Amino acid sequence: MTFSGELLAFLCLALVAVIGGVLLLNLTKVVHMVVALVFTFISLAGIYVLLSAEFVAVVQVLIYSGAITIIMLFGIMLTRHNDTSEPKGGTLKKIFLFLGVLGFGVAVYIGIYNLDFNPQATTLHENNTEQIGMALYSKYIIPFELTSVLLLVALIGAIILAKNDNKKEADKE
Amino acid sequence: MIEGLLHDQAGLLNFVIFFVLGAVLLLVILGFVTYAILAERKVMGFMQMRYGPNQVGGPWGLLQTVADVLKLLLKEDTIPKLADKPLFILAPVIAFAPSFMVIATIPFTDKLQFADIGVGLLYYIAVSGLTTIGVVMAGWSSNNKFALLGGMRAAAQMISYEIPLVMSVLGVVLLTGSLNLNEIVSAQENVWYILLQPIGFIVFFIASVAELNRIPFDLPEAENELIAGYFVEYSGFRWAFFMLSEYVYMFAMASLTTVLFLGGWLPLFSFLDFIPGAVWFALKFSLVIFILLWFRSTFPRIKADQLMEFGWKVLLPVALANIFLTAIIKSLF
Repeated sequence: MTFSGELLAFLCLALVAVIGGVLLLNLTKVVHMVVALVFTFISLAGIYVLLSAEFVAVVQVLIYSGAITIIMLFGIMLTRHNDTSEPKGGTLKKIFLFLGVLGFGVAVYIGIYNLDFNPQATTLHENNTEQIGMALYSKYIIPFELTSVLLLVALIGAIILAKNDNKKEADKE
Repeated sequence: MIEGLLHDQAGLLNFVIFFVLGAVLLLVILGFVTYAILAERKVMGFMQMRYGPNQVGGPWGLLQTVADVLKLLLKEDTIPKLADKPLFILAPVIAFAPSFMVIATIPFTDKLQFADIGVGLLYYIAVSGLTTIGVVMAGWSSNNKFALLGGMRAAAQMISYEIPLVMSVLGVVLLTGSLNLNEIVSAQENVWYILLQPIGFIVFFIASVAELNRIPFDLPEAENELIAGYFVEYSGFRWAFFMLSEYVYMFAMASLTTVLFLGGWLPLFSFLDFIPGAVWFALKFSLVIFILLWFRSTFPRIKADQLMEFGWKVLLPVALANIFLTAIIKSLF
């Protein structure tokens, strides 16, 4: 295996993603956690780019960076200003947790080590945006349409719920 | 060339090449920002019948911005005692880095482009959205109510105007059949998209002014309500970073407008193609910048509720109707 720029980039991105995830669990302030999450998401997008999945990478940044700002706003608005989460649990619990994490790690390692993919198509990265579009609008058109209807229903539901609240408050006043 | 370098052996030489390329681009951008600020003050002075800077560096004030930046760099760097220190320091970096990243994908001429990404247009929109995080972080970590209000407004505004921005360029994408900025430019060989997509262009331009946080949509930094908005607690070079990212976005957005609607580096008429593409790009780019400055000195700021209503109830439906119309026209002809 040659030490190419791609490997270096992968190592950096993977490191940032893992560190972001660990910090998300260990930090105590809600805004700090969200920032750690941002770093994880962006490095995942970078890994998608390394895999030549540009469209997925860009959508990852587009959706998650927008959504993260909203999560941050809700975090600011719904929690007290100086609220921090306290670490809980005794030593015994921590030991069990560590064993669980270790076991999971070993299981995943063995699983990945013995995994054997059949030879993959090597042309997947060519025009992949166009290919995604073709597949979505021909082979997967019904799931795609159903998902959009579901999202529309959720949107209208949210509007109706918000409207009802307003009306009740107006009646009270 | 870049493609070849990426698959090369990682070595010191490659690192130096990438570093120098990036540094040159950064210097070009800094030069632009220096003179864009001067141009802004001069044009506003001209429109308001006064002189603008005319002391430092000759009668045109050519060194005024350089002196201002020097002052900023020498200024004491204050961090409020109750501020959230790590986020306070990180926020200007997160706000600035994406503004520089988006420029990589913009084709200035058919040869001069740093990254020819297949989904270039989406990349621009996605990465520019990251700045909002820096802005909200700055607002929250300053521990100041005006800063927090500014950050909240910035988040609400940038998210609601991103949607009409994306929707308005979908017409262009439909006509080209590609998200690649190079292909969008070459599809304008015969007629520019500003003529084929006039509604899309107007919606895009309004939404881009809102994304740039410039007057009439500069509510996040409305100085007469919020003092200075999200960067009220910043001083010295950290404050300079916020200002810098704003002007770099102006550069990037004007370039994107040129590429999407004004035909990029293509000449106005085909018999004028002896003039190099870079000159055409610069001319169109300067026109867009001038219109942005013109907006700033002629429009009053609108109210926060009007801003939201305008975005969701006017721009979004108009942009959706434009997509519908474009799709019908495309399938008919």
